Amino acid sequence: MQRLAWAALFVAHNAFALEAGDKLPEVTIPALRDSAPVALAGFRGRVTYVDFWASWCVPCRESMPLLDTLYKRHRDAGFAVVGVNKDVSAADAERFLKRVAVSFPLAADAKDAAARAFDVKAMPSGYLVDRKGVVRRVHRGFTAETAASLEREIESLLKESP
Amino acid sequence: MRDAVIKLACCALALGIAACANVAPYQRGYLARDDMSLDGNPGTAKALEKTYAAKEAASGGATVGGGGCGCN
Repeated sequence: MQRLAWAALFVAHNAFALEAGDKLPEVTIPALRDSAPVALAGFRGRVTYVDFWASWCVPCRESMPLLDTLYKRHRDAGFAVVGVNKDVSAADAERFLKRVAVSFPLAADAKDAAARAFDVKAMPSGYLVDRKGVVRRVHRGFTAETAASLEREIESLLKESP
Repeated sequence: MRDAVIKLACCALALGIAACANVAPYQRGYLARDDMSLDGNPGTAKALEKTYAAKEAASGGATVGGGGCGCN
């Protein structure tokens, strides 16, 4: 009985993390800069990579330029990237973006609503979503392995019909 | 029954007085702030550590730098 209680507690603690196969949470996140809020539901029909990043996140210095390259390369084929910033102040994010300029849409999740909806477990966390709005791959952290596999995964999802 | 109630009350009290809070991975920006650092000045701390190591003729055992954000 006690074991069952512990197991239930463990499951309850881990039950909310968004995993492959789950539906993309349809949250709307305020934009980082002066533009319209970013509604994730609006990306339906496109292969989308939702990336949680911050200026204090060291691997993000590598992931952000790569995501920008992939975005520019596959944008016309229907690929989108949403960068959800988790900095405490927008000024920190801007300082980071001066060094690492990116062209994809950026949102600022200052109130943690999106991070809670996704139950982000690591920084950075990337959610690769197919055209139907289903999460197909979750990347927690960013390594050379992630960089190598990401483009293959994107290309494979782009081939799927909407 | 009474024991169970007392145990439950003790648990509730223990949880209530605990001053610990979980910091979610995406909230570690707070921990990365300069004023969250254990050493006010990393340069001075490094120099003191070197002097200490020279005086003691042994080094190591000190903590790594940073504010505890787990990112460096």
